[in-house]
Amino acid sequence: MSKFKLANLLAYGFVTLFSIYVLLPILVMILTTFKTRREIFLEPLGLPGQFNFSSFEKALSVGLGGFMFNSFLVSLFSVFLIVVISGMAAYVLARVDFKINKYVYLLIVAGFAIPPAAVLVPLYVTVSNLGLLNSIYGIVMPLTAFGIPFTVILFYAFFLDFPREVEEAATIDGCSKIQIFYKIIIPLSGPAIASAAIFQTVWIWNEFLLALIMLTSDDVKTLPLGLFKLRGEWTSDWPAIMAGLTIAIIPVLIVFLIFQKYFVRSLAGLGK
Amino acid sequence: MDKTQTESNSFSLSSDKLSVIILLIPALLFCTVFIFIPAFWAIIGSFYSYGMTSLNDWKWVGFGNYKKAAQDEFFWIALKNNFIIVFASIVLQVGVGTILAAILDRGIQYGKVIFRTIIFTPMVISSVAVSIIWLIIYDPNVGILNSIFKAIGFPTPSMGWLGDPDLSIWMIMIVAGWQNTGFMMVLILAGLQGVSKEVYDAAEIDGATGVKAFWYITLPMIRNILIVAILITTIGAFKVFEFVYVLTQGGPSNATQVLGTYIYLQAFNLLHMGYANALSVVLLIIALILGWLQLKASRRA
Amino acid sequence: MKNIIKFVLLTLTAFSFSKAAQSIDIKLWDLSGRDGQDEFYELLQKEVKKYNPDINVIVTEWENEAYKTQIQLALNGNDGPDVFFNWFGEDSARLARAGLAMDLTSYADMEGGYGSFISKGWQDAGAVDGKIYGIANKAVSKYFYYDPAFFDQHGLSVPSTFGELIDTCKSIKAIDSSIVPWPMGNSERWKLNHVITMLNQRVVGAENTKADYALTAPDDQLFTNPKYVEAWEKVVELNENCFNDAPNATNPELTRSMFAAQISPMMYCGTWCGGIFASEGFTDFKMFRFPKVEGGADDGTVGFLVAEGLQVSAKTKHPEAAALVASINVSDAMALADAEMRGSLISNATLIDQMKGAPHWFTFYVNDIADKSGHVNVLDVLLEANVSNAYLDMGTEVLNGTKSPQEAMDFIRKVALEAKAAM
Repeated sequence: MSKFKLANLLAYGFVTLFSIYVLLPILVMILTTFKTRREIFLEPLGLPGQFNFSSFEKALSVGLGGFMFNSFLVSLFSVFLIVVISGMAAYVLARVDFKINKYVYLLIVAGFAIPPAAVLVPLYVTVSNLGLLNSIYGIVMPLTAFGIPFTVILFYAFFLDFPREVEEAATIDGCSKIQIFYKIIIPLSGPAIASAAIFQTVWIWNEFLLALIMLTSDDVKTLPLGLFKLRGEWTSDWPAIMAGLTIAIIPVLIVFLIFQKYFVRSLAGLGK
Repeated sequence: MDKTQTESNSFSLSSDKLSVIILLIPALLFCTVFIFIPAFWAIIGSFYSYGMTSLNDWKWVGFGNYKKAAQDEFFWIALKNNFIIVFASIVLQVGVGTILAAILDRGIQYGKVIFRTIIFTPMVISSVAVSIIWLIIYDPNVGILNSIFKAIGFPTPSMGWLGDPDLSIWMIMIVAGWQNTGFMMVLILAGLQGVSKEVYDAAEIDGATGVKAFWYITLPMIRNILIVAILITTIGAFKVFEFVYVLTQGGPSNATQVLGTYIYLQAFNLLHMGYANALSVVLLIIALILGWLQLKASRRA
Repeated sequence: MKNIIKFVLLTLTAFSFSKAAQSIDIKLWDLSGRDGQDEFYELLQKEVKKYNPDINVIVTEWENEAYKTQIQLALNGNDGPDVFFNWFGEDSARLARAGLAMDLTSYADMEGGYGSFISKGWQDAGAVDGKIYGIANKAVSKYFYYDPAFFDQHGLSVPSTFGELIDTCKSIKAIDSSIVPWPMGNSERWKLNHVITMLNQRVVGAENTKADYALTAPDDQLFTNPKYVEAWEKVVELNENCFNDAPNATNPELTRSMFAAQISPMMYCGTWCGGIFASEGFTDFKMFRFPKVEGGADDGTVGFLVAEGLQVSAKTKHPEAAALVASINVSDAMALADAEMRGSLISNATLIDQMKGAPHWFTFYVNDIADKSGHVNVLDVLLEANVSNAYLDMGTEVLNGTKSPQEAMDFIRKVALEAKAAM
């Protein structure tokens, strides 16, 4: 009986400690926002003496709102394209038995393995030559391309398990594959679409490297670039930097906390 | 009646092929233009030496760039760091993640959802933001880590947490672990929840409970999930960029360079495009090997 | 009726065409963080319009470190700035040689051209192989700043040799061991690079560094001078006696704040620092030159000077308008405004006397720069890219103690040989 209690205590202890490890930096971030620069220098471990909101004003003046809006647009367009394009391709690969489909699938999986860093230079040249630098639509294209392989794999697994009867009925009724896809498959693929959308949105919202090389103009920069710029502008003005981070993180956290059930569920699907 | 049916069949057959092509083309087009063609050019370009200005300025160097890489101490440091990150991530993120998952699965009764939510939260925050938060924690003058150490009476590193070439890569790992362990935990937890209660009941009858049950029963059953987790971690370890770029810029003096940041340095700071391509090809080869392994592993699962 | 409509349509089209053709957008990139820069660029817009009312100058500002990579990226792509800031030395020459900077020689004498504004000497600052690839509008230098109140209070005198500098540091530490005599913020690697620039100048001497820096020395002599190692040894001495702990993890902005808050009594900082200290509330500082080094080749009169100015992108779609903007930047009106609004040490020297209300440090800079016998450009602007990067990295390693001065020079020599072979 005592052995059980000890193990239980240790278990609670471990997971609590780890949770503290997770929460502490966020606490530091929020508290730093309210401190003054002198306080940070003289009393790093202390609590702020007042609720100083000037750091928020400073952070907002850098244009964080604009960066968040850009991130929002980029994520919206990219995720939409990724889900639709991947869904179409995965459906064909899962259902139609052309021999070439096997190789196409392998090719796409190869695409998943290739990280952007491995093709950085030619990718930059390609995007530059296509005139897509410094534009929201410009960055949507390569981001979509890099998001497709993973999503195809996701949908492929999903469609393999999809019951064929409905489609067969529709084919007999004379529907083309395209019609079947749009009228039957998409409406019934809710969970897979949700999973894909969640994954890709988080990835694209936080994507940094491709944005770094392709977006140099302030009016199109995404949020991660904006945060990096924030840190560069005020290397020592920690309250302002932390205020900027807080503003950037809070919306994401709120969305996550509301939808966290779906996040977890979509992860469960990944392992299969 | 029959005529219409065969007509509609033959109609849908040829329009079938057309449908297939239409549905596949966009995906292939995007991937080809932005992934495969650049990969191709990276390989070709690695055999030349050029800056960025004109495509006419390419100088053939054959395997020169690869020879240069072989003798470049910073390339080997970057490669070594990537492998350090792989193994450290597996031990820390997958290892600790598994322990946490086990605890949340059957180790505690209350607060499971709260703990799970808290520990998973860092995953949705941008790696850039995460790195900046840890920058202030590590700061030698105003950071809380130093303050805590001094308060306890422990010595603090004289070169700073991130300025010490021996410590800095581990400090980066702590940040990576902070962000990614939650992901592993939830992934493995999903696998654990797939193990039915009957298995544990049967084991209990045989006298295996608690840690013993976990070691001999649970682990083998989630073997496939663990393999997937390890592979995801490994692939991720080679993709590392933001943490290093924001925390140390690859410093001090290239001690924390990883392949991603070193390629960026060579290409966009020093303008050695050909050499950067050669480094990219190395990364490409490693990535493809890992991708193939992942494919095999997921096939088996 | 038909003809009237045709006529109206034609006029409208011609009007819209010419309207579109009329407005020229010139994108200008500059560094951020300088007080008074907004007013400066508002004035530039007005002045440019006097010569060509169709030009719109659109300014984007960048933080120092980010600028260095962003400008490379932007110039190599198709959407970069038309006119941009650069440090004059290898940084600007490299762009000229790569065909990314436009040749401005022919624009010297156009209406509003720079030829009438700045002296030949200053024009040459932007010259590469006899052609002008940039228009220098100001320069920056570096000095030791010190707190005279602290020095007087503790009976310290201004050091005139390197040995005395080390002694001063030791004395300060003896007064209170928690005081950092000279805070060094090398997290961005260039702070120490400025120091090693001066040490190389003082210890090795201009004559002996010339061929090495330009990579023209024969292979068996390239960077072999043992005096280079001696210069690094001075860095080790400084690190032991004057600097703070963890210089590589400390950022420059923090060290400036330490001096401005009078926590530290001494600091080697740029001419851009006077205004920064003032804005943080400290104006009672004084300055002295980088001391000469005993046994060194230089007598202590050569100073640190980096010319800065604007270059024009070779890919600009409006070469003449861009050249005009870069030229007007050094016109009399703009030069005076630069000195008054941004506190810049302008290239148009005669105007400095006209300046109203110059702060005491500004007057000191101007007089002292004029008084020097020669100038040295900073290594990270002067050297070839790889060698420059090697010097930056070695600064980090010598401060960490992970490489000895000899090992540092061995590495630099290796990189220099490779760079020379690739030229």
